[in-house]
This record gives sequence, structure tokens and C-alpha cells, in this order.
Amino acid sequence: MLLQQLVNGLTLGAVYTLVALSFSLVMGILSVLNIAIGELFMLGGFIGFAVIASNLPLPVALVFAMAGAAIASFIIQKVAYEPLRDAPLITPMLSTLGFSIILQNIVTNVWGSDPLQLPAELFDADFTVGPVRIGVMQVVVVGVTVVLVGAVAYLVQRTSAGRALRAIAENRDVARMLGVSVSRTTFLAFAISGLLAGAAGVLISLHYAAITPYIGVDIGLKAIAVMVIGGTTRVWGALLAGPLIGVAEVMTIAYGGSQIRDFIVYGLMILILLLRPQGLLGGARSDVGQRV
Amino acid sequence: MILTVRGLEVFYGPIRAVRCIDLDIEAGEIVALIGANGAGKTTTVRAIAGLAPFLGAITYNGKSLTPNSAEHNLRAGISLVPEGRGILGRMTVEDNLNLGTYCRKDQAQAAKDIDGMFERFPILRERRHSLASLLSGGEQQMLAIARALLSRPRLLLLDEPSLGLAPKTTVAVFELISSLRRDGLTVLLVEQKARQTLKIADRAYLLETGRVVTSGSAAELANDSLMTQAFLGGTPSHETGAP
Repeated sequence: MLLQQLVNGLTLGAVYTLVALSFSLVMGILSVLNIAIGELFMLGGFIGFAVIASNLPLPVALVFAMAGAAIASFIIQKVAYEPLRDAPLITPMLSTLGFSIILQNIVTNVWGSDPLQLPAELFDADFTVGPVRIGVMQVVVVGVTVVLVGAVAYLVQRTSAGRALRAIAENRDVARMLGVSVSRTTFLAFAISGLLAGAAGVLISLHYAAITPYIGVDIGLKAIAVMVIGGTTRVWGALLAGPLIGVAEVMTIAYGGSQIRDFIVYGLMILILLLRPQGLLGGARSDVGQRV
Repeated sequence: MILTVRGLEVFYGPIRAVRCIDLDIEAGEIVALIGANGAGKTTTVRAIAGLAPFLGAITYNGKSLTPNSAEHNLRAGISLVPEGRGILGRMTVEDNLNLGTYCRKDQAQAAKDIDGMFERFPILRERRHSLASLLSGGEQQMLAIARALLSRPRLLLLDEPSLGLAPKTTVAVFELISSLRRDGLTVLLVEQKARQTLKIADRAYLLETGRVVTSGSAAELANDSLMTQAFLGGTPSHETGAP
């Protein structure tokens, strides 16, 4: 039972990790909380659903969902962020909030407000390892997450574009002085953020074989909690906090009841803010937008 | 003339930090901007580097520079070592050096140039995988200069490179700057250490409250009454025998 919950928790945590990384990348570069990321996740889920419903394979669904969410992310950058980049930090945050409600409205008009469901047999194959039953979709969720996190880690740590991202995150003036283009780097941050959120949307919706236009609010807020708990000054804090929160949530549901699961997750977030505002892995105050 | 500045004015909100400054720099010269804190030295080099909005005209190699165009200015050959060194402390020494080549297209040659910097500054090779924040002040200054050189500038702007360094390290940094001129580089050196600066500079400008109050060759300024009163202990060098 415990091992089974651990596997379920790690699966959920993998999705939280992807969405929290999506939040962290934009916040790390621009010090802006892009609230619409939750809805990019939801949009990715619906696009993935539509592709699977057209009898196309999962990799195609992932590509379309990631591309769709990245395009929406680019539009958010151009419409909701760039015109307001010199305004107080709260202003672009509020404009992304407005954008998130618009995205939700668009999806509701296209796909309706009722939950969509896939045939139960589509991704329900599983196998057992000792006492633990592992769904094929759980393996896909964790596997895709590991590949995407590895790809982002490689890009951020090993490539010239990644160095530019880290330079802007640490000191924008010095980065400009070294020839780093703030607009190109901002685009890259928004694009990666959209790709990750879109992929996470497909994974969770196919894992549960269901999706609603309101899923982005719940998962988005959880991902923000993950980002805070991991440390908003370190992108990689999400790698620790995502699985931690996923497991804590699943264990709470299993042993305490689903009525207290949010109490545990957000209670932990508040505790971290009070006792260790830099987060589990952070090295500076959590309200300072310098990270990576 | 590699750089001419005419009627430069820089505002920070309502505050006029630089007031109608004129500067000329010939290729291959070391020109110094000397002044106390708040004189407008840093603001002037930031405007030249494209990091600050300005009024007036800055011409580099015969072409006008537009305000806030740091990326363009770097590609054109103007590189800045900022006040406080501008080291990216959460990145490794090697990452900092790699960023120095970010604007270059010839990445194969850029990699060789990084090796060249390791030969010129062996301590950077030893510490290449260390976080830059863990280097000493002198090592950080070497890293900042090496990183700036990797963009292959023709004009190097150095903003108070001796700030916070021990006397022995300061001497080494000034020797390094002299060697850069011998390599054919043009240097605009912002400093408060007037005596040491005038020893290596060809010409200098003295700034006070955003204005140029006097200028001339290094030898002339060593005997200038404004300079000696403000920075050289109050007695012109021809009376003391000091440069």
C-alpha cells in the first residue's frame, strides 16, 4: 500500500515538477509570476486530448500540445508582458491573470465546460512489480518528465543560450553588456515555459483520462506552492519539491482523506514562507526574483 | 579619432548626472577620466557602452551611437569592465569567460581565445570550475578584464578597476592595463587613484559634478592646480619632483 502510494505520488509529483519549472523559468529571468501558466497547462491537455481523439499517437499529441502552449506563451509575452515590462511587478502579473481567464474562456467555448473523457481502456495497461501495480501511463509521465527536465537542464547549464538565460537572471545589466539580447532571452524563457506546461497538460490529462477547463487553476496553484517550497531563487528546487508535494498529497489522501490534502500542501507552503522563505534549496530571500 | 563625445548629457529622472561633456580618444591611447564619487565618470562610460540613455552625440569609428544599444556597441568593438567588476558570481569562471564570447560568430576561434586567456591568466585556468564569487578581488578583476577582452574589443572601457584591491594587486592591474595598450588596444580608464592613473595614461580629463573641469596630457595634469588640489595632495609634481 505504502509503495503503491509512493509510485502514485511520484507520478503526480512529476507533473508538478514540470509546471513548477515552467513558472520558475519565467520568474527567474523576469521576476514576474506568469499566472497564465496554469492555463497553458490546461490548453496543452485539451490539445493533447483532441489529437488522441483523432487516433493519432501520444508523441504527436505531445508535440502539438507543446507547440500550442508555446505559441500561447509567446502571445502572452507579446500582449500581456512586454508592453508592461517597465511597470511595477504586480502589473504584468495581473495582466497574465487576465490572460489566464481569457484562455479558460476560449477553451470553454471550443470544447465546452463539461469534463472530457477518454475511453478507459486507451491508456490503462499496467504491470506489477512485487506488490506495486504500475500503469504504463505512469511510466510515460515519469519518463517524459525525466527527458524534458534533462533537456532543460542541458540547455540551461551547457549551451550558450542557457548561459544567457542565467546571466540575465543574475544581472541583467552585465548580461546586456556582454551582448545578451534581453528580448531574445525573454522569448526563450517564455517558449520553454510554454513547452513544459503544454507537455505536463497532456501527461496529466491522459493519466487521468479526463480533463476540464478548470484544471489549470488547481494544478497551477499547486505548482506555485511547489516553486515556493523548492525555493524561488533556484529553478532546480522544483526537482525536489515536486515529488515531495506529489507524494505528500497522495499519502494524505490515502491515510488522512482527500478533504485535508490542500491543507497539507498549502500549509507546508506557508510554513516554508514563515520559517525558510528562501525555500528548501534557495540561497536568498524567496521574494527576490533572481534565480537559476 | 576612435571616439568623440560632444555635449553628452545624462539624466537620472530629474537629476542631470552628466552635463555637456566633450571627450576625444585617439586609437591606441589610454585616456583617463578622473574624479571623485558622483562626478559622472561611471555614467559617462555607461552611456558610451550603451547602457544608459543620453543626449548629445557619441561617435565611434565615424558612426553615431544610439542610446541604450549595448548589444550593438559590443559588436562594434566597445567593451566595458564595469565598476564592481560585474562578475556573475553564481556562474563558474569558465561560464563567465564563455559569456565573453557570446557575441562572436567564430566560436572555434573563440574557444582558442579562451585558452589564450588561460595562458595569460593561469590562475583562471586553475579556478575554471570554481564559482566566480569565490575568487579573490584581484582574481575577479582579472576575470572581468579577460571576459571583456574575449569580445575582441577595439575600445576597452575600464570603470575603477582598482576599486577594493590591495596595493600590490592594484599595481598588477595597472601593469596589465599598460600591456593592453602595447597590444594595440585603446583604453578609457575611469579612476580615482589619480597618481597611478596619470603614470600609465596618455591624456586625462578631470570631472567634477558632471562636468569636465580640466583636461590635457598626463604630464600636464600632474602639474594642474585643480588636479593636484583634488587628488595629488595639493602640490604640483614639478615642485615635488613626483609625476
